[in-house]
Amino acid sequence: MLLHIGAFHLDVDSQQISPWHCLVPKTRVLCTLLLLFAIALTPNGRWWTWAIYAVGVGAIVLSSRATLSVLFKRVAVESVFIGVVLLGTLFRGGGAVLWQWGWLQVTTEGLWVLGSVTIKALLSLLLANVLVLTTSVPELLQALTVLRMPPLLVAILASMYRYIAVLVGEFQSMQRAALSRNLMGSQRWQRLVIGNMFGSLFIRTVERGERVHQAMLSRGYEGLQPTITSPVGNQRDVVALTLTAVLTLLGQSIYLFSVV
Amino acid sequence: MHHNPIDIRHLNYVYPDGTQALKEINLSIKATERVALIGANGSGKSTLLLHFNGLLIPQTGSIVVGELDMQPQNLKAIRNFVGLVFQNPDDQLFMPTVWEDVTFGPLNQGLKGHELEHRAAKAMKAVSLDPNQYGSRNANHLSGGEKKRVAIAGVLAMQPQVLILDEPSAQLDPRCRRELIHLLDSLPLTQLIATHDLDLALELCDRTVVLSRGSIVFDGSTERILGDSQLLDQYALELPLSYSRPYCQLEHAPAA
Repeated sequence: MLLHIGAFHLDVDSQQISPWHCLVPKTRVLCTLLLLFAIALTPNGRWWTWAIYAVGVGAIVLSSRATLSVLFKRVAVESVFIGVVLLGTLFRGGGAVLWQWGWLQVTTEGLWVLGSVTIKALLSLLLANVLVLTTSVPELLQALTVLRMPPLLVAILASMYRYIAVLVGEFQSMQRAALSRNLMGSQRWQRLVIGNMFGSLFIRTVERGERVHQAMLSRGYEGLQPTITSPVGNQRDVVALTLTAVLTLLGQSIYLFSVV
Repeated sequence: MHHNPIDIRHLNYVYPDGTQALKEINLSIKATERVALIGANGSGKSTLLLHFNGLLIPQTGSIVVGELDMQPQNLKAIRNFVGLVFQNPDDQLFMPTVWEDVTFGPLNQGLKGHELEHRAAKAMKAVSLDPNQYGSRNANHLSGGEKKRVAIAGVLAMQPQVLILDEPSAQLDPRCRRELIHLLDSLPLTQLIATHDLDLALELCDRTVVLSRGSIVFDGSTERILGDSQLLDQYALELPLSYSRPYCQLEHAPAA
């Protein structure tokens, strides 16, 4: 699946016009991060907090006019990967045992943790996917630079985004070259050849990295990516950030006042 | 404009594995001169080109660019003075969008705001790319010819006085190649063009330098070397097509 990323269009909805798109990329990243941290750092079992956050996430999804079919499809694919991790939490010990088979047991504690983590994962995935769907990668990278992420890290991300398609192209052309010379044979032989391809891809990547570095130096690169002036936010962005902050605080305060 | 942009004296370069890539290179290029650098694969063309921009520092010998000696403290000025266009545009277009790539050099020079936009737009127009249409495009989704032009625009945006091109016409279709020749012909810069495309050399450059096994074996008029099939054969080169094309009418037959 990774090998098809080159043909994969990440920001399907980046050209839409909506309240969410009116915000500058920096604000969108900040709102997303704020909500993500709030969702992830909420202790297990605080269902009402997540209900409030779900309203926030839902509002963002709707106001961004993201294509829902694409959004849900991506969330579904990503959930499969997360599901594997989640499965481990189901069989943990503690609490009353509801079902047992050999050493495998499902307990109330396990279900409780599983439910909490699933909700966290689902909300976070929805939010992150909306951000990527509606904001192009160059805009995201610029937003990260503006938010004082170390410039070297942003530069690494930028070249990863730029070169992944080139690498995939190189791998595919190697694969075609192997097929055109009748790479059939046994499964083992095919695996061996593909392993070799990855090896030579690695060496080519190192060499390309050197050439890219030379090209950067020859255009005056001195170790730091030059900064580009990015759009400045207006009142709308302040309102959006305030709303997000209020929502996160509201979610946390419910249990603060009712439980304690 | 400097009277003598580039002057190389007794340049030698040995690769870490012991291969002697360049031997006793002496070369001097005048302002606004266009010079073709030809030679077989592995003759040291690319190694020589990397020296012009300070990507390789002379091991022995000296290079003077403009009035600047090739020393680490002069590198910034030298790289603003000499623009290097690499052979494979994929190596050179490393920023996510075309606009970011063209502005990379000027930003490193410290340009900002309106001046920066003006400079980048001018460079893109010089290679006949519309900044509004191409600016936001991803470098992955461009054709080979477009990538080459963006690569040249990225170098032109730094306003160098010397332009060095490594195999500019490689991987281009005939029309893109023709457009590139017109473009290079219209640029009033000192140019050094390393190429296997001898027709391009013949069309653009009055002077040709032939490299063979790391040393300069010919330095003179392009027409003289490209008309001499024996000499070309000796250096693993061939007559340009425009010289070897058969004639259609009797009066076009070469005089026996």
